[in-house]
Amino acid sequence: MDSVIAFVVEPLSHGFMQRALLMSILIAVVCSIFSCFLVLKGWSLMGDAVSHAVLPGVAISFVLGIPLLIGAFVAGLFCAVFTGFIKANSRVKEDAVMGIVFSGMFAFGLVLLTKIETDVHLLHVLFGNVLGISLRDLIETACIAGLCSLLMLLKRKDFLLVCFDPGHATVVGLPLRWLNLSLLAMLALTIVASLKAAGIILVIAMLIAPGAIGFLHTRAFDKMLMVAIAASVFSCVLGTLLSYHIDAATAPLIVVIQAGLFVLSLLFGSGRSAARRLFNVRYHAQRIIFHAR
Amino acid sequence: MIDWLLQPFAYDYMVNAVLICALVGGTCAFLSSYLILKGWSLMGDALAHAVVPGVALAYLLALPYAVGAFFAGLLAAGSMTLVKHKTKLREDAIIGLIFTSFFAIGLLIVSINPTSVNIQEISLGNILAISDIDIVQVVIISLICLLLLGLKWKDLVAVFFDESHARSIGLSVIWLKVYFFTLLSAACVAALQTVGACLVIAMVVTPGATAYLFTDQFHRLVMISVSLGVLTSALGAYSSYFLDVNPGGLIVTLQTLIFLAAFVFAPKYGLVKTRVANG
Repeated sequence: MDSVIAFVVEPLSHGFMQRALLMSILIAVVCSIFSCFLVLKGWSLMGDAVSHAVLPGVAISFVLGIPLLIGAFVAGLFCAVFTGFIKANSRVKEDAVMGIVFSGMFAFGLVLLTKIETDVHLLHVLFGNVLGISLRDLIETACIAGLCSLLMLLKRKDFLLVCFDPGHATVVGLPLRWLNLSLLAMLALTIVASLKAAGIILVIAMLIAPGAIGFLHTRAFDKMLMVAIAASVFSCVLGTLLSYHIDAATAPLIVVIQAGLFVLSLLFGSGRSAARRLFNVRYHAQRIIFHAR
Repeated sequence: MIDWLLQPFAYDYMVNAVLICALVGGTCAFLSSYLILKGWSLMGDALAHAVVPGVALAYLLALPYAVGAFFAGLLAAGSMTLVKHKTKLREDAIIGLIFTSFFAIGLLIVSINPTSVNIQEISLGNILAISDIDIVQVVIISLICLLLLGLKWKDLVAVFFDESHARSIGLSVIWLKVYFFTLLSAACVAALQTVGACLVIAMVVTPGATAYLFTDQFHRLVMISVSLGVLTSALGAYSSYFLDVNPGGLIVTLQTLIFLAAFVFAPKYGLVKTRVANG
């Protein structure tokens, strides 16, 4: 028991670890809420696109001297809207357009960042630096994450209808375009808020895995949300603490733990999962009886 | 002026970089002409990220990086198929889940053994400082890829345009798809060295999409796509010498600019033309 307490308490004697833990919990909550909608709507790769596309925003906001958050947000939203525009006006398929736009913006951002002298470390933008979080970062993220989580949870019925049945949503008089756009805008905000801790590439995992885990356990959306949030917060806490002890990069460790939870859910989740079938005596008995006939 | 323009070619590493980029760019562009016909573009992105743990392990164990990449790619493809078979999750969620998890495993391996390989090289490419052994691997992979693609290119066209027709003339659709994705992952592994994991997707999508805006005939599409791939890759690597920026970023920026120009001005399917035609 003492060793368990030491496992938790020792890292938390450092200020940077306390901030890292708080930051990762904040991100875990907001990303897992989003992931439930994205997984159901088929927008999982939208998170991929938007997160890569924020890179030029980071560079340009540095040149213009505006807050990094604003530049990144505008760039992320621009990617989503511009993808829609090109798709509507050309014969190229949506997935290809998405790939072209986000990789183009990422490449442009890369060129800008290698050319401009910034105080933004490229690798920190790419892979996150949760151990170098300042109090100000924490407050910024708390505001954005809190706002997005609250809006999503309050309006979850509307967004759910948009995800599942856009036709029905229009019939009952929901403003479909606005809801889609606000979903995109909040997605971009969430990604931007998670950027400093998780980095461009791993935030994608945070935006898919919890929802996928929840999906494996239940079909009721509110339960799915709860499972997703619990799985995500658990991985973030464990990942942050464990990374301190084994001296590994924090964000990748969190993602790997999430992946581990997904595999466990796959094996032992509800429904006719592989492991249940394997260990379910009655099932085997029935099969034997069936074949005996 | 001429001297100034020829200056990069005085350096062996620049000559190598330009030639390798052109070769890899051409190979990827050839594959992109197929990929654009189906909705599988993001597989390129997923494959490029999924091979990273294999590459990291291979460097750690001092094996050729292509071997590690090959096994990691195979494992990723296998996991995707398995999860798809076992759950009702949407395909895009499965692809996203698997490739980010694999990538994270790669990052974790590197963070625990920092000496094995530089993670920036894997993510953003390392063509200007590529080692001789890696050059050999990239060249062999690209050439084999081109050769195999050349052998079966007509069968693949049949599969990509019309599967039921392909089946009716006696082609094995499933095997040809596996064949294609094996070639695609090999090309992604080669492109990993030139532009890095984050930008491979552009190499296997953008040239084909650009060509698709110009023509309806497949052999023209391939020709335009491959020339675009070769030219932009060579030019990007060449001009990175003068601009002093990341060559992968420059190559993909060039490709995207050409796509945007085609999107607006292409003679048949450009924005200007369709807007005028629609009044």
